[in-house]
Amino acid sequence: MEMAILVLQIAALCLLAAAILLWALYFPHPSPLIRRWLPPRKRWPEAQVRVWLKRGKFQRAFLRHFYSDPERVAPAGTSMVAPADGLVTSAEVRGDVRYLVIALSFWDMHVQRSPLAGKVVSVAAHGDDFMDGEGREFAFLREKHCPVQKRVVIATEAGQIAVRLITSIAARRIETWVSEGEDIGRGQRIGRILLGSTVVLELPAATRLLVRPGERVWAGQTPVAEGLAIR
Amino acid sequence: MNDFFSASGHLDWGVFALVVFTGLWFLLFDLVWRLSNVGIGRLVVAMSVGWVVGLGLVWLTLYR
Repeated sequence: MEMAILVLQIAALCLLAAAILLWALYFPHPSPLIRRWLPPRKRWPEAQVRVWLKRGKFQRAFLRHFYSDPERVAPAGTSMVAPADGLVTSAEVRGDVRYLVIALSFWDMHVQRSPLAGKVVSVAAHGDDFMDGEGREFAFLREKHCPVQKRVVIATEAGQIAVRLITSIAARRIETWVSEGEDIGRGQRIGRILLGSTVVLELPAATRLLVRPGERVWAGQTPVAEGLAIR
Repeated sequence: MNDFFSASGHLDWGVFALVVFTGLWFLLFDLVWRLSNVGIGRLVVAMSVGWVVGLGLVWLTLYR
């Protein structure tokens, strides 16, 4: 009996020692034993993701999270919904267009959605080389030496809008799932940036914004603007 | 060594409880540290107080 208790005690101590060894092996990043209880941003800290980016090798669980595509329910009403998950970084007006810039982080879902129902007017790819010229005046383009972009223009009842999917030449992978002439619904998936970065919603300057820089938005779910403002 | 194992032939329950509790408390500290935004100094103080209270409870349970 004493022997059995001793064996059980030693087994329990070995399990504890293994848990502490795992902690030490993974420190400063979280041990696999506690990852499930951490939110994504803490489960895979930025420093760890940057190391993976340099090596080109990622943890499978992180990739599963990165490529996940959860269902979203668009809110009732006719407001424009966010085209991407992320943080609104600016809402600058240039001429007749308002540029609502959404920065995506490593932990955001990377599937983009249509802000409104409408007809796709064009899907155009831009940028493979160093960009100089008119695009450089925009901060969201200036930050990247070689912004690789796809611009989806959609004709809606609120006017013509565009969703610009931007990544860098290092990532260079954008998929679009809609084509010219196609009718699309509000909140419908329109594409995916496979490693990156920024989504810009181009709206008529007169639309009324419902979000401010610094706020978080979720694709297909967060109302970001509505109708045409009364001048 | 003989003292450590105690006369009954297995690890003394007090020593065993102390080691297991300390190990688990340490792992819990790591989890709380990652989940909370509290400064490390305040967290160390709070967790140390918790550890001492835990040890007191172990002692009260086993040796009272």
